[in-house]
Amino acid sequence: MTDIQADFARPLTIARAPAKTCRQREAFTISPWLYLTPALVLLFVWTYIPLVEAFQLSFYQWNMLPTATPRYVGLKNYERLMALPEMRNALWNTLYYILGLFPMSVIIPLFVAIWTQDLTGRARMIYRGLIFVPMIVAPVVAAILWRWLLNEDQGLITLGLEQLGLGRIGFLTDPNYALATLTWITGWKLIGFSTLLFSAANAGINPSYIEAARIDGASRWGIIRDIRLPLLSPTILLLSMMTILFGAQWSFAYINVLTNGGPLKSTTNIFYLLWEYGFQTMSAGWSSAAGMIAFLGFAILAAGCMWLTKRFAVYDN
Amino acid sequence: MTIDASHDHQPLASLTETGGKTRRLAVHAVMILLSFLSIFPIYWMVVTSLRPENEIFSTAMWPTNPTLGNYVFVLTRIPMLQMLLNTTIVAALTAGLQVVTGLFAAYALVRWKMRLSGVIHGLIALSWLVPFQVTMIPNYVLASRLGLLDTLTGLILPNASHAFAVLLLYHAMRSFPTEILEAARIDGAKSWKILWQIVAPNMGAPIASLSIIAFISAWNEYFWPLLLSRKPENSVVQIGLQMFMTQEGNLWGPLMAAAALASLPILIIYLVLQRHVIESFMKSGIR
Repeated sequence: MTDIQADFARPLTIARAPAKTCRQREAFTISPWLYLTPALVLLFVWTYIPLVEAFQLSFYQWNMLPTATPRYVGLKNYERLMALPEMRNALWNTLYYILGLFPMSVIIPLFVAIWTQDLTGRARMIYRGLIFVPMIVAPVVAAILWRWLLNEDQGLITLGLEQLGLGRIGFLTDPNYALATLTWITGWKLIGFSTLLFSAANAGINPSYIEAARIDGASRWGIIRDIRLPLLSPTILLLSMMTILFGAQWSFAYINVLTNGGPLKSTTNIFYLLWEYGFQTMSAGWSSAAGMIAFLGFAILAAGCMWLTKRFAVYDN
Repeated sequence: MTIDASHDHQPLASLTETGGKTRRLAVHAVMILLSFLSIFPIYWMVVTSLRPENEIFSTAMWPTNPTLGNYVFVLTRIPMLQMLLNTTIVAALTAGLQVVTGLFAAYALVRWKMRLSGVIHGLIALSWLVPFQVTMIPNYVLASRLGLLDTLTGLILPNASHAFAVLLLYHAMRSFPTEILEAARIDGAKSWKILWQIVAPNMGAPIASLSIIAFISAWNEYFWPLLLSRKPENSVVQIGLQMFMTQEGNLWGPLMAAAALASLPILIIYLVLQRHVIESFMKSGIR
């Protein structure tokens, strides 16, 4: 994991030793390119060329019918989008999803991992086996499971809350709750997995540091604050970055299966908006323009995250 | 973990016995709560799927009169077995192709020092950051031009190579001793032979990890099939499940049976390979 993380931080620096063998000066050979062809062709055909095409499409108006020709409209798509309250709403919701996921993907797992670090043996293995399960459950299945538990008429949780005298809550039908419900379902899949990642990183901390701090009279909290948290920072930053960059994408399946963005657009996020513009209202230009805005925004966030990782992650060398 | 933990126990030992015990109980309480949260929705799915229709709203914690009626209903109402077969084909081929294209690309980057290898590596890594929703329209147009709508090929092809696969194998391969490669090269072995007879057999663990993750991700994939699929019998189980929910959304028993059938293969893989599945996912972060 750390390898790939390091990779994200420095995608362009490959360990290239200075020319010390004649291998470096080997004449051009075709072989490596043949080996690279399948991956590169697929990558260009299905990712990079479409990205450029989407960029072009964002300046056109097109209803996606093969018979209709796209019409050039310049920056109009962007201007319209910026003026649309829908777009602003979707961006706010995207932020809500991301921030709402943090407690479940980073904060609670971090403290649970530190709190439960003494667990050993069989009990630890059993807990580990159980809390990992949501990670491999398909999003559509997860959506259906929670739709049943939270069902407004007969869902177990609804009935339970009624027993407690809290009344019925329209978890998926009340605009005040739907967004929080979807964020919870997205986070449900992550919480156990993040805990396991933090546990593994925490267990990897060199015990002699803890020992030394204890001899110096550090308190339990002092040890957590001054030794554990800094040494866990690579994992904290990795999970934060994943949440920021992919959190809104993870919630897509739940939005589409459970609410279609409603009630009253309260659960739409930017990725759902792209899909709605593209395949429901058939306005390819708008969808592409919104896509470009999203891509640019997340690219800037990604660069920022990598910078933060480089700057603040503490590695135990 | 254990070494660390034993050190951490020292202040506890100095506390009163009850203090240690309370803390230990609290630790178990936290983990039991988390385990319960993780497992209960799945348990409830299975219980509901086994209830007869007239008991579907029962809140008993186990099925009092268990029946397989809901499963029979699902199997006769929608082409569930066909969709499970389709999903197996798609997931297995996607995983297999990702391993092969990943091995090739990683091998090219490790075995040859090319002037452009930094750029290529960067291009591959950055493709991970392009959200699929941004490229979906051109992808859809291309797939329909190639006649791939509503086909399994269309579901597999765009995922036949993935940045994640290349990077995982690249990092594994980089730690492979270059002396062995050099020796084989000097012996006159062709690069193809070196790859299949020397490199690939030593990549067992990362290839297994990659296969597990790719298979599970492809099994759970939802968005691309949503765009491509038209008929349930040509589609994967996630789409079938969603179609079933849209049509029969309030038949909770059959719906839970369908969800259980759709998750069964993955849960079986997990039961059999539990340790490997967890470790594969942990080593490679979130996908």
